[in-house]
Amino acid sequence: MSATEIIFYAIAAVMLLSALGVTLAGNIVYAALLFIATLGGVAAVYLLLTVEFLALVQLLIYGGAVVILILFALMLTRARERPQALFGKSRPFGVLAAMGLLAGLIAAAVTTDWVSPADRDGIEPVPFEAIGDVIFTVWVVPFIVVGILLSIALDGAILLATPEDEED
Amino acid sequence: MPDAIVLSEFAGIGMPDWVDALIRLVFIVALMTLNTLALIYLERKVLARFQARVGPTRTGPVGILQSAADALKLLTKEDVRPHSADRWVFELAVFFVFVPVFLMFIPIPFTETWFIRDLELGFLYVFAVLGLNIVGVIMAGWGSDNKYALLGGIRAAAQAISYELPMLLAAAGVVMIAAGHLLDAGLVGGALNLNTIVDQQRTTPYILLQPLGFVIFMIGALAEMHRPPFDMPVAESEVVGGYFVEYSGIRWSMFFLAEYTGLFLMVMLGSTVFLGGWNFPFGADAGLGWQIVLTLAKASAMIFVLFWLRAMFPRLRIDQLMAFSWKVLLPFALLQVLANGIILAYGGPDWVVGLVSLALLVSLVALIYVLVRAKAGGDSIHLEPARPRLVTSTEVASGD
Repeated sequence: MSATEIIFYAIAAVMLLSALGVTLAGNIVYAALLFIATLGGVAAVYLLLTVEFLALVQLLIYGGAVVILILFALMLTRARERPQALFGKSRPFGVLAAMGLLAGLIAAAVTTDWVSPADRDGIEPVPFEAIGDVIFTVWVVPFIVVGILLSIALDGAILLATPEDEED
Repeated sequence: MPDAIVLSEFAGIGMPDWVDALIRLVFIVALMTLNTLALIYLERKVLARFQARVGPTRTGPVGILQSAADALKLLTKEDVRPHSADRWVFELAVFFVFVPVFLMFIPIPFTETWFIRDLELGFLYVFAVLGLNIVGVIMAGWGSDNKYALLGGIRAAAQAISYELPMLLAAAGVVMIAAGHLLDAGLVGGALNLNTIVDQQRTTPYILLQPLGFVIFMIGALAEMHRPPFDMPVAESEVVGGYFVEYSGIRWSMFFLAEYTGLFLMVMLGSTVFLGGWNFPFGADAGLGWQIVLTLAKASAMIFVLFWLRAMFPRLRIDQLMAFSWKVLLPFALLQVLANGIILAYGGPDWVVGLVSLALLVSLVALIYVLVRAKAGGDSIHLEPARPRLVTSTEVASGD
């Protein structure tokens, strides 16, 4: 086993354990903190795949902003005194959805024609300029649509946060 | 560009990679500690002069050993953890604050050949790592099980999220120009490499092309580092020290180490991105020996301005701070990115970019002036703190 593989399995173990922690931690703040560890693991995998740009964007967007927003929402609840209920009535549906996703992922992993590590030397890492080029030329319409969607979400959040009686 | 310095060649002996890496890490740690001690001493001295005092004088000649004495005291102090604090979150928070700042050191160029590592995406890396810092702050705030700490942590997070955006956009204007210059030179990529950005400024520092960007960057740096007048997360009179109120001894000093190192790195970043880093102004070629002096001189000048601002302004309110970021700075930062994009896409010369940015800066200052004048007459927001009127003895006597 090469050093890269050892590092990969270590990262994968951390990701799996922290992802399990996210779902099983009774304390919602712990869950959010473990979620950061999971996302950090994803960034580390990107680094192993030599796409540094994606790794940094992962940290910048998920590691930073989203998790902080989650923490914001949750720390204002009484997460400390009252552990959250982990399982509700929708449990069977959740299990079903998770199993379906798992089956899909396994099917995809098995059917994909993976490049063996020996042939990897010929593959050049994707420069981030190429990613930018493709986003802003080929995929520009989806990009704008996502931007509009995010703006709508932001406006909605502002609307919800504004007290209704503030009309004067 | 000369090749990066290799430590083993520098020392004249062969050494394996891991020794090289270890030396670089030790270098960061030593620099962090010394820098923090020096900055705390200098801040006290500079602030004292602004307030017509003399500052520390007793410990060593002109009080120069004061920081060292304080550090020794902190190291020997008892390390207290509140009984009701969340053990893991409370103790790990320190590292989540400290490690990102430590990592931020890596791509910062001190001279043309002196840096820890030359990262191709150094610019993005610095901001990505900086964003993680706030996780530690919020962990400290929540884990302490103290209302003031929680308030401080949440204020810090709100502030950091709000100011990261205009700051990143302001600095992105520079990256756009650098990318344009590189394309003109027939190169693709490298515009996010901090060393290349400095190299692009051999004749013109980017502050001349992006004055608005520089001002927004400085304001953002003040807010990100919780420096006065934006120090609401750690304001003693409001939240008794904020997120580190429950920390003591060595943990507390780790927070300060992170804070002052962050300050240093912010001004180093500002100096490399906007002030031309190790370049002598306007193209005169300086030797390698001068480069370190130039970088540090530019960074020191910026730090002095930050100390100056601290002495000059009263603290803002948290709602004023948030409104200022979202309603004033962010639109202007976006305008600048838009203007840069239009001018550069149509091949406009550099001086047009600089002129437009200057015009935007002037309109920003004018807008702030008009807003402050308008608000000062109204009843909603006073930028000056309302002072209680002194009641004179005659008024008391007459029963008014």
